[in-house]
Amino acid sequence: MIYMFKVGVIGDKDSVLAFKALGVHVFTVSEGDEARKMVDTLARTNYGVIFITEQIASLIPDTVERYDKEIIPAVILIPSNQGTLDIGIRRINENVEKAVGSNIL
Amino acid sequence: MKVGKIIKVSGPLVVAEGMDEANVYDVVLVSDNRLVGEIIEMRGDRASIQVYEETTGIGPGDPVYTTGEPLSVELGPGLLEAMFDGIQRPLEEFRVKSGDFMTRGTKVDNLNREKKWNFTPTVKVGDVVEEGDVIGTVQETPLILHKILVPIGVRGTVTSIEEGEFTVVDEICVLDGEKRLQMMQKWPVRKGRPFKKKLNPDVPLLTGQRVIDTFFPVAKGGTAAIPGPFGSGKTVVQHQLAKWADTEIVVYVGCGERGNEMTDVLMEFPEIIDPATGESLMKRTVLIANTSNMPVAAREASIYTGITLAEYFRDMGYSVAIMADSTSRWAEALREMSGRLEEMPGDEGYPAYLASRAAEFYERAGKVICKGSDNREGAITVIGAVSPPGGDISEPVSQATLRIVKVFWGLDHALSYKRHFPAINWLNSYTLYQTKMDKWMAENIDKDFAKNRAKAMSLLQEEASLQEIVRLVGRDSLSYEDQLKLEATKSIREDYLQQNAFHDTDTFCSHAKQNKMLKLVLEFYDLGMKALEKGVYLKDIEKMKVREKIARSKYIDEEELYKIDDIITELNGAIEKLIQEGGILDA
Repeated sequence: MIYMFKVGVIGDKDSVLAFKALGVHVFTVSEGDEARKMVDTLARTNYGVIFITEQIASLIPDTVERYDKEIIPAVILIPSNQGTLDIGIRRINENVEKAVGSNIL
Repeated sequence: MKVGKIIKVSGPLVVAEGMDEANVYDVVLVSDNRLVGEIIEMRGDRASIQVYEETTGIGPGDPVYTTGEPLSVELGPGLLEAMFDGIQRPLEEFRVKSGDFMTRGTKVDNLNREKKWNFTPTVKVGDVVEEGDVIGTVQETPLILHKILVPIGVRGTVTSIEEGEFTVVDEICVLDGEKRLQMMQKWPVRKGRPFKKKLNPDVPLLTGQRVIDTFFPVAKGGTAAIPGPFGSGKTVVQHQLAKWADTEIVVYVGCGERGNEMTDVLMEFPEIIDPATGESLMKRTVLIANTSNMPVAAREASIYTGITLAEYFRDMGYSVAIMADSTSRWAEALREMSGRLEEMPGDEGYPAYLASRAAEFYERAGKVICKGSDNREGAITVIGAVSPPGGDISEPVSQATLRIVKVFWGLDHALSYKRHFPAINWLNSYTLYQTKMDKWMAENIDKDFAKNRAKAMSLLQEEASLQEIVRLVGRDSLSYEDQLKLEATKSIREDYLQQNAFHDTDTFCSHAKQNKMLKLVLEFYDLGMKALEKGVYLKDIEKMKVREKIARSKYIDEEELYKIDDIITELNGAIEKLIQEGGILDA
């Protein structure tokens, strides 16, 4: 049997509820502490990809950073229904810069 | 004795002819000023003499009188608390006689001839005594019972012995009806005093300095060297050792260093009270001063004078520590004399015999069974400072010293620049007594001490390699475990190794306190690792309030060591709490 990871999404209810339709596990949180625990718990319980809205991620930078160095889970920032804070794209830009030496995006 | 005639004067070196009756290493009196000198070389009837006083105004034709005796020190009550120059002339008497600076040719007795000491015999008429036996005692200072020994080479049956108040030259005892003994005896400084048997040093010298006692202990009867560049704290370390080392006698040789450093000793030591006896530490200390502006030839002798006094106290069965600050100045004195003698120079102009002279000095250290029928044990620990120019220990004096000594405390300029004192570098210092000291620690302090020490040291070594990565790519690129390791080693460095010599409590740290403190700083690392594993954030571990208490644990009084245990309990509690709150227990 192929080992399967799960996919989860964390964010405020309005933003993430629609993910249910795709079969992604949805976890709604509203404040930092709650989000932090949620990410840590998911990371420990076989979630391979964790989507998290930028609004929530901006509350818990330490936690997001913590999984930067680990291959699994991939913590991916997504915009919420209120628009984007540009944290996600900035992180991608930074990583590209670190990897290839200049911003080619 | 025949009177010689000077034919050449070169600074402290005087060459005289007509000296065929004299022997090498005899003491001579130069010119009509009667300056004390010592013959260091003989060629035919020409003697090269190093003069222990200023030779200005002396010229060819002046007379040289031989005494026929080697350079000797006088041993007897009156040594403690006193300050002597390089050939054991009491500086206080000098000051009374000739003012603040030494006037040449002043004649003073090495030991005070007028002062009366209360002599209590320990043998009675009819007893058979041999060399080194104790015939009586004098309570020289409240701390030290001065034992009067039968001189080396003398034995016999006691035919009369006195009790009461005597000066050092009064007759106190007669052996076999003819050998008259006084309290004072003489001994040539260049000859080590004999002993029955040399023992293997196996007890550590408690110095109260954490970095020394924990990581680089020296044994009682061992040898240690402190090389370090200028301003890295050699003198302060030496002073700390002189103050706190748990020996019964301290001989401090200030050899070619600044005068005000000796003044510091003179000002500070009387104020420090020995916790065990409640008496001033000066009462167990002998000072020998040949500061940088004193005659250079006497500097060469000061080291030997010091170690001979130390040997005398060792023969009484005491544990003695001798500090020489600094042996580099002594080596420079050798070099100066060697140059004037026109000898072939070796490395950096030092004489070819530098290494053998240094070895001769350090080899007089040791734990021994003394002469005498009661088999007492005595020990001399030698701690020599070395001042290599520029702090580069690849120079001859450091190298010659390191070949002999078993403990090396390398002072580091970078550490002292960072205000990390004592600036003993834990990466390049070493001790060859480690296994024996570990054994002693396990038996007397804590069986885990050696394990903890090894663990702390390996953490510090790992830190050094982690620091290199940090310098290249920054601390954030390290894993959390490694970042915690850096935090823990910072705690070892700042909370454990750093020690304030000028803080009332921190200046001295007992073995028991060291053991507890070491456990505390290591506990932080162990518990931190455990918490990290459970998912606690590094930032939360770093921000723990209890860490402040760890940092202050060095200021806990010796009587209140239970407070360190309390901090360990509190630390455990704090980590538990972090795990409860931030960890993922049910993962």
